Amino acid sequence: MPHSWWSRLSRRFAALRKGERLDHELDSEIRFHLDMEAEELARTKGLDPVEARRQALVAFGGVDRYKEAHRDARGVRWASDLGQDLRYAARSLRRSPGFSLSAILILGLGIGACAAVFSAVNTVLLDPNYDNLVRVYQQNSPTNLWTLSTVDYRAIEAQQRSFSAVGALQSRSVAISTGGEPTRAQSGWITAGFLRALDIKPVRGRAIEPADEDLKAAPVTLIGYRFAIRNFGDDQAAIGRTITIDGVAVTVVGVLPPDVNDLAGRRAEIWPALRLRPPERRGPFGLLVIGRLTPNATLESARQDLAGISERIFPDWASSFQDQSAKLTPYPLRTAVLGNSGQMLSIFSAAVGLVLLIAIANVASLMLVRVTGRGQEIALRTVLGATRSRLLRLLVTESVTLAAAGALLGIVLGMFALQALVAFGPALPRLSEARLDGRAVAFAAGLALFAGFVIGAYPTLSLLRGNPAPGLREGERTIGGSRRSQAIRGAFVVAEIALSLPLLAIAGLLLNSFLRLTRVDPGFDPRPILTMRIQLPASRYGEDSTIASYWGHAIPLVRQVAGVVDAGLGSSIPPDDQGWSNNNFDLVDRPVPSGTAQPTSAWPLVTSEYFGALGVPLLEGRLFTPGDSSSGDSTSSVPPVVVVSRTWARRYFPDGTAVGRRLFSGGCVTCQPTIVVGIVGDIKYEGLGGRADAVYSPATEGWSQDMTLFVRTASSPAEVLERVRSALRSVDPDVPLDDAAPMEDRVYRSVAQPRNWMVLLSGFATTALLLAGVGIFGMLSYTVRARRREIGVRMALGARQPTVVGMIVRRGMLLALLGTLLGLAAALAGTRALHSALFDLSSTDPLTLAAVTLLLLGVAFIACWLPARRAAAIDPVEAIRLE
Amino acid sequence: MDQRADLLQGTLDLLILKTLLLGPLHGWGISKRLRQLSDEVLEVGQGSLYPALYRLEDQGWISSEWGTSPDGRRAKFYKLTAPGKKQFAAERSQWRLFAGAVEQVLKAT
Repeated sequence: MPHSWWSRLSRRFAALRKGERLDHELDSEIRFHLDMEAEELARTKGLDPVEARRQALVAFGGVDRYKEAHRDARGVRWASDLGQDLRYAARSLRRSPGFSLSAILILGLGIGACAAVFSAVNTVLLDPNYDNLVRVYQQNSPTNLWTLSTVDYRAIEAQQRSFSAVGALQSRSVAISTGGEPTRAQSGWITAGFLRALDIKPVRGRAIEPADEDLKAAPVTLIGYRFAIRNFGDDQAAIGRTITIDGVAVTVVGVLPPDVNDLAGRRAEIWPALRLRPPERRGPFGLLVIGRLTPNATLESARQDLAGISERIFPDWASSFQDQSAKLTPYPLRTAVLGNSGQMLSIFSAAVGLVLLIAIANVASLMLVRVTGRGQEIALRTVLGATRSRLLRLLVTESVTLAAAGALLGIVLGMFALQALVAFGPALPRLSEARLDGRAVAFAAGLALFAGFVIGAYPTLSLLRGNPAPGLREGERTIGGSRRSQAIRGAFVVAEIALSLPLLAIAGLLLNSFLRLTRVDPGFDPRPILTMRIQLPASRYGEDSTIASYWGHAIPLVRQVAGVVDAGLGSSIPPDDQGWSNNNFDLVDRPVPSGTAQPTSAWPLVTSEYFGALGVPLLEGRLFTPGDSSSGDSTSSVPPVVVVSRTWARRYFPDGTAVGRRLFSGGCVTCQPTIVVGIVGDIKYEGLGGRADAVYSPATEGWSQDMTLFVRTASSPAEVLERVRSALRSVDPDVPLDDAAPMEDRVYRSVAQPRNWMVLLSGFATTALLLAGVGIFGMLSYTVRARRREIGVRMALGARQPTVVGMIVRRGMLLALLGTLLGLAAALAGTRALHSALFDLSSTDPLTLAAVTLLLLGVAFIACWLPARRAAAIDPVEAIRLE
Repeated sequence: MDQRADLLQGTLDLLILKTLLLGPLHGWGISKRLRQLSDEVLEVGQGSLYPALYRLEDQGWISSEWGTSPDGRRAKFYKLTAPGKKQFAAERSQWRLFAGAVEQVLKAT
């Protein structure tokens, strides 16, 4: 068919584009018609030209009206009407600034929060840079995953068939100097394959080459862009310069791009070439290994590939690693990097979405009240000839205008919200790069359109179905109180309550979990304790004797500083920095069956004074003495000793004492067994929510370059800090001493992440609660106003005030209860996702759920009671006379 | 009694199609021919003629073209399309059915 719907549509479009020309054509067509008619009249009836023209015009019947009708038929009228609608919408919204401002503000907040979180999710969760990348772990149980050793990495490199590139990274804090004072910096030592797998190329200079990994090659490093700017002025100038890393001169060969602040989630400022020594045993572990899957490899095929490698290398190294259940296991790098935070971010976006839905429901019910209140105006317009479709457009334009204004505000608020999220939110990789970009703006616009349609939907539908004319006869009362619109408003209230409850439940659970976490005893009072991490530069402290000499001089000096009560050294910083101190062991009396995983524990190296400095009591046995040994070296005549925590002692020796018992440290069955000599109070090393297991080895033998000084002060850590520093400088002025912090800060920081999540979600939940309360209040207030006369009549007939209050409150609370039930069902299903983020708390904790339910019902009750009281205060005489 | 009759709703399209069956015409020509063919009984309200023309064109039953009238003036000429002819046949038989039925009802005693 030549004239299909398509050609009609294109003609419509042409008509729209060529509207003016068509109008012009129409003019000439009419002029022609009138000319012909006038001439005809003049000829046939002998009229003079002026009269003939007049009669022609009369016969035609009003040129302008006809033009309108023609334009309507042409279907372009809506375009010219749109401008009119927009003007009308703006005018009518201006006329009720209270309604408009609150609606725009509510929508703006909702849309802004959504746009901000959308940007964050887009940048962090959907980061395409993680596609096809996996991280390989050693895994021997669903929850026990750890890093790889040189043996593992070399075996993967040589035998794998799943990856186009594999690489290893080892991160550690180092002392660096570019000429001036040495400072501490985070370093990530990488192999050439690491950057190739990530597909990152330096902006200046070259990448790390396989030849750089050779132990005999000249040491080289890549540096971060900001580090280059800060230390060398610009990125080009950095190439070829020398950085002293732990006393070794290293040449800068390349600078990473400005937007790369982390590799595979590990942050660092310098990225030296990783030079692995040939392994002597299966351990130590500590390598983060990643691989890029080849196009025809899947996670599953890689898993089988790696499992095969695990089995092949096991027999070769069985003497130093007996756990045959440990397998090399690949996980998507995205999951590995984001972990718990990625999941929390998802929950967070769901929460923001809920708030937006509640906001939309709220504005929609506001709009409903407003539109039904305008029944008269609409009825009048209908009577005056406005068509139904024209009225529909009017209302939809108004809602969409409202939502668009909300979106504009939302985009502005979103920028601030995103900045706030970056500043106060959890530390997520790449989060600081999140921007409110075009996609976020498009997203906000989409939300606004959706909001606009939901808000305008009911007024529109009621127009489509009903006849608004009665409004003119009966006045506002009937329209406003109509059963259907009441039911819809009720549905909005139910929805708001039902959406709020899951939010409240999430916030409540996080709050409860957070409070439990902060009530956990870290094992010591952090307030008087000063911590200072000291890493001796490897250049001058390469020998055990020089290290021992430094600590041997430093500790007595610090203990003599005025205001210092006690000072000791430890290799781990409680409550959540285990450092590199974690070890497996096997009890001599009760070894684990061969081939299965041995138990592990935090395993700090400490001096005896460490316990005094932290204020942890010795419960049984003794602390270390100068002759104690830590190593299980079979040539040594003295058996190695350890001190254990109370929880450790109770776990492994529930009946009888642990003192005097023996164990194989590191699972080394050929080594001399280690003897437990003492039991001390518990200290947390695996986070406040973690176990309190700890095994302490004496630090006095095999001193480490990297220790933390713990100083117990008589007054406050801040007061003695400078005095401790100058005491240490007198031993060696070149040792960096900048990593100092009161213990309280470290404890505080350890719960920073759960606190931030809790605060953010509580903010959302509070908003939801307020919106839901306002929703109920608004609906009941309106009902009371609409039923003013009826209530007056009831009271005149003898209804008492409590009856009236009860009637109104009952109606509101019924809706609230219905919403609560729906919300509880949703919460029970939804909070399960929260499970792993909660400490010592079930995700369906009945007490928390009951508490938030009561809170919500309480707020609902207040929101019902206020309008009910106003209803009871109605003066029956006045109310009846009013109508 | 006024000798002119208002057009019955819906018959205008049929009549326009009929006038164009005889050949292309401009708007004024259509109204004039309608009057002539109905012996001055049927008067097309001009306000409905042009919208009807546009509607018919929109549906693809007629097409239009700017041309020159016999006395040399620019005028828009409408002519019937092939689907328009089919439409005319369909509407015509419908009309006969309708008119016959009405007449039958009115004849009944």
